[in-house]
Amino acid sequence: MKKSWIVLIVIALLLVIGYSSVKNSYNSMVSQEEGVAAQWSNVENVYQRRADLIPNLVNTVKGYAEHEKETLAAVVEARAKATSVNINPEKLDAQSLQQFQEAQSGLSSALSRLMVVVEKYPDLKANQNFLDLQAQLEGTENRIAVERRKFNEAAQAYNTTIRKFPKNIMANIFGFEKKIYFEAEKGAEKAPEVQF
Amino acid sequence: MKKLIVSIVALFLAVAIFAQDIPERPNPPRMVNDLANVLSTEQVQQLEAELVQFNNTTSTQIAVVTVPTLNGNDPSDFAVKLHEKWGVGQQGKNNGIVVLFKPKTGTEKGQVFISVGYGLEGVIPDAIAHRDVVDFEMIPRFKQNDVFGGLYYGTRVLMELASGEYTADEYHQSVNDKQGDGLFGGILFFLILFIVVPILRGRSKRYYSGGSSLPFWLAMGMMGAGRNSHSGSWGNFSSGGGGFGGFGGGMTGGGGAGGSW
Repeated sequence: MKKSWIVLIVIALLLVIGYSSVKNSYNSMVSQEEGVAAQWSNVENVYQRRADLIPNLVNTVKGYAEHEKETLAAVVEARAKATSVNINPEKLDAQSLQQFQEAQSGLSSALSRLMVVVEKYPDLKANQNFLDLQAQLEGTENRIAVERRKFNEAAQAYNTTIRKFPKNIMANIFGFEKKIYFEAEKGAEKAPEVQF
Repeated sequence: MKKLIVSIVALFLAVAIFAQDIPERPNPPRMVNDLANVLSTEQVQQLEAELVQFNNTTSTQIAVVTVPTLNGNDPSDFAVKLHEKWGVGQQGKNNGIVVLFKPKTGTEKGQVFISVGYGLEGVIPDAIAHRDVVDFEMIPRFKQNDVFGGLYYGTRVLMELASGEYTADEYHQSVNDKQGDGLFGGILFFLILFIVVPILRGRSKRYYSGGSSLPFWLAMGMMGAGRNSHSGSWGNFSSGGGGFGGFGGGMTGGGGAGGSW
C-alpha cells in the first residue's frame, strides 16, 4: 500500500516537471510562430504602402509626360496585379510566396521603367509634389527591404527552434511546420534605380 | 599542432571582426559619434549637449554618426542596421533617429541618411525628412564643407518635428509578467487528468504507468526544455538627469530619407 503511494508521488512529480517543460516549449513555439505571422503582415503592409503611392505618382507624372501613356499603363496594370495577390500567413508556402514575389517584382520593374522615363522631363523633376513622391517611394522600397529581412530573421529563428532537440519532438507532435524564406531576387531587393 | 589551431582560431576571429561593417555601440554611450573625424571637439560637445538634453526631456534619441566609409553598403541599409544594432530610441516606443554622415572623398560622393524609427514615422515622414532636412538644411551646407552646420541645423529641424510626440516620463514600463500562469494550474490539471481520473476509473487500467507516454514525459522533464528567455535587446537603461544613460533598444522599419552630394 505504502509503496504504491510513493510511486504515485514520483509519477506526479515527473508529470509536473514534464508539464512545465512542455508548456514552456510549446508556448515559445506558438509565440515565435505568431511572430512570423505578424512579420508577414508587416511585409504585406509595406508592399501595400507602395501600391497606395502609385495612383498619386501616376497622376503627377501624367500631367507632365502625356507621351508616356504606355509606361504609365504598365505601372497601373502591374499595381492591380500586385494588389490582387494576398496571402494568408497560415497558408504561406513556397508556391504562394513565389506568386506574391512575382507580382511584386513585376510592379518593381514597371516602376523602375517609369523612373527612367521621367528623366526626360526636367519640369516634372523640379515639381515639389513629384520630389516628395519620389522620396516616399524610395523610403517605401527601403522599408520593403527591411521588413523582408526581418521576416526572414523571424522565420529563421522559428525554424531553428522547431528543428532543435528536444523541441523538434514536440514540434512534430503538435504539427509545427517549417516556414519558408524570401529569396533575393533580381532587383527586388533594391530600390528602383535609374539606369541607361 | 597546437600553434596551428591557435592561428586558425585567430584568423577566424580576425575575419569575424572585419566582416562586421557596422561600428560597435559606443561605450560609454554617446549621441554624437564622430568616427570620421570631421568635427572639432567643441562642435561634438555642443551637439552632444543638445541631443542629450533633448533625450532627457522627450526620451527621443537622435544619434549622429559620421563614418569614414560605408564599406560598400547602401547608405539606407547601413543606417538601418546601425540603428538596430545600437538600439537608438526607447524600446516599445521606437522613437530613435540615426543621422548617418559619410564625407565626400576624392572619388566617392558624400552621403547622408536619416533613419527614422517606427515610432517617429508619423511626425517625420520620408518626404519631410527628404525635403526639409536633407535637401534644405543639410546638403547645401555639406556642399560648402560646413559639416557641423549641416548636422546641427538638420538635427534642430528633426528635434522640432519630433518634440511633443513623446515625453520622458512615460517610458518606464515593466516587462516582467513572464511567469504569468504559475505552476499551480498545471499541477492541478495533471493530477486530475492522470491520477484522479484513472483512480476513479479503477486502477486495473494502468492508465499512467508503463506504456509509451511515461518515457516521453520523463525525457521532456530531464531535458528541461530550456526556458525561453527574454530575447529582447539590452533593456531600458537610459534615464533622466545628468549625462546620457544609453540607447534604449529602439527599432526601425527603414523609414527616413537620404541624399548625396
